[in-house]
Amino acid sequence: MTTTDSDGSSTAVEEAITSTDPVTLSKVWGMGGMTAVLVGLVAGLLVSLERLDLESAGIFGSGDELFQFWSAHRVALVLLGVLPILVALGTTIVPKQCGANTLLFPRAAAFACWTWLIGAGMTVVGFLVDGGLGTPDGGGQRQATALTLMGILLVIGGLMVATMCILSTILSGRAAGMGLGDIGYLSWTTLVSGTIWLGMLPVLAANAVLAYVDLRGRPAVRFGAEDAIWEQLSWVFTHPAIYLLALPVLGIALDVISSATGSEPANRGVLLVSTAAFGFLSFGAYAQTFFDTPGTPIMEEAIYVLAAFAIVPVALVVLGGVLDLLRRGGSDLGSSAPAPVALSVIAVLLTVAGTVLGALRVVAPWDLLETSVTGAHFTLVVGAAIIGSVAGLSHWGEDLLGSPGFPGLMLLGGLAAALGVALIGAADAVSGFLGQADFTGVDLATAGYPDSATGALNTVSTLGAAAFLIAGLIWMVGGVRHLAADSEGAG
Amino acid sequence: MADMTPTAPTRPRSLVIASAFGTAAVLAYFGGLFGIYFSIRADAMAWGTRWFPEGAIELAPGGMNMATMAVSAVTMGWAVHSVLNDDRVHAYLAIVLTAVMGIAMINQTAFYIADIGLPIDTSQATTLMFVIVGSHLVMVSVGVLWLGLLLLRALGGQDTSRHRDLVSAAALYWYAVTAIYAVIWIGIYIAK
Repeated sequence: MTTTDSDGSSTAVEEAITSTDPVTLSKVWGMGGMTAVLVGLVAGLLVSLERLDLESAGIFGSGDELFQFWSAHRVALVLLGVLPILVALGTTIVPKQCGANTLLFPRAAAFACWTWLIGAGMTVVGFLVDGGLGTPDGGGQRQATALTLMGILLVIGGLMVATMCILSTILSGRAAGMGLGDIGYLSWTTLVSGTIWLGMLPVLAANAVLAYVDLRGRPAVRFGAEDAIWEQLSWVFTHPAIYLLALPVLGIALDVISSATGSEPANRGVLLVSTAAFGFLSFGAYAQTFFDTPGTPIMEEAIYVLAAFAIVPVALVVLGGVLDLLRRGGSDLGSSAPAPVALSVIAVLLTVAGTVLGALRVVAPWDLLETSVTGAHFTLVVGAAIIGSVAGLSHWGEDLLGSPGFPGLMLLGGLAAALGVALIGAADAVSGFLGQADFTGVDLATAGYPDSATGALNTVSTLGAAAFLIAGLIWMVGGVRHLAADSEGAG
Repeated sequence: MADMTPTAPTRPRSLVIASAFGTAAVLAYFGGLFGIYFSIRADAMAWGTRWFPEGAIELAPGGMNMATMAVSAVTMGWAVHSVLNDDRVHAYLAIVLTAVMGIAMINQTAFYIADIGLPIDTSQATTLMFVIVGSHLVMVSVGVLWLGLLLLRALGGQDTSRHRDLVSAAALYWYAVTAIYAVIWIGIYIAK
């Protein structure tokens, strides 16, 4: 283990904090990310339960409290959950795929990891003490909102520095003679998505800084107003930016299935170009509805609509590559596919379903942009990203922790997650077509006066949220047992 | 998975590549702020609203700062050239001059912001201006600290034509600092 000061007398905690070993950092990223996913799923279930009665507040005291949990659900899954898990894989697996000795700039990587962890803690605390990212009726605590924004900024900073380390390793640290076209699919998709992250996360930071500066110390001019903060940051949690979470998952799926079947995709070049196109179509920093010019909303602009449709065939090309791999090497899998392969296939299918729903969402006559179709789209894409990330953690578990872990638990959790994501996605999508708003609030007006059938659909969606949470718990148990087994082995 | 056999030497200039990513991220940050600034300004102008109060933004301080930054970009290039040619004396001189101009720019901007008489919460325009100019001051400060580190290494004989990555990386960053200020100068001080 590479540590800054490991004289044999330091405790495990000291070693963990001072370590620059990529495997140790990956454990922090991975467990931190999985914990955040669990927190996000709990928030999601509570919001779903509240939605069972659209006319009044049942679990939460007010619409503002509901909004805090609703927004916390999305923040926890994206910035505190999926992205860190992908960084965990990028920190350990990408250097190996590139033939690099180790991750470049290990101290910067450690700094990024702890910065993110502290920021994640501040963000969660900010939400819990009546802060969050603003509220529709301005009922939150300004100081707590400022704390949340500061936490988000640290999270963004940590993620960006970690991404820089990973990208530098791919570009500058890979083995001599290895071209960018020769690296593994995870490394390639991490290179593409990391580059786009570095274009989008700073813009999100700019939004957060603007809101923070305006929020502090005096009545807000505009950007720091309680009811305006979420809309400035919400672009990162919807089309097209949300697709960037699924891109490394496509790389994971191609690597996992290629490894399991022992065959290479027939059209590697096409897959590299397709995944790159998927990444560039995911650039979403321009899609900020808060700054819409009156009369020309960005969500109705050609670039936004075109990107939503163009990404569908691109995702289908990747699905074709996955199916081609399974067709040519499926016989080598035996009667039951390994857990990572099954999870990878599920993740790719959910990604494709997400892109299709994303395209339907922008069809202007249906007027779905503000409906729960947006939530269904988020769940499908982020659910795919979570399931695919777990597939990656399971596939490379031995590289991360020295033992293969508990693939049965991972598969069980994956199946529960797939069921949950499918239920939420289908129910919320139909509810959206029936007029239910994305954020339903605690009264029918905020919910958009939806059709009465949404009551049953919301029950289905709640069952899905419960299944997704159970999946998260199963994965957490599997992860903790894997870590414990690793510690005992090391001892 | 691709070939796992590690090779001993890594590719050179990893510091420059990392700095390029970092600089690109900073450019994206300012790109976001400029996008918001110009978008809201265009809307305000379209409605016939005055963006800044009459006479609030003077051209001279911005122009002086732009000139300072432009000259500092030249001295930064001089520093790179000197390091490449192992000319240590000129490298010291160029690095110190660049850092001094950065400090002068910070001083001049801080004085102007204090003197301008526009509270930050006057309007959206002033809030955005303070955030953009303040962020740029932070960027310049980081650059000056970087130059200080570079100078210490140069004094220790570690910035040579064989070990030029740090000066190249610092130069890349400094050119971005200058380029961003050019947009501030044109977009805020000239166009007002």
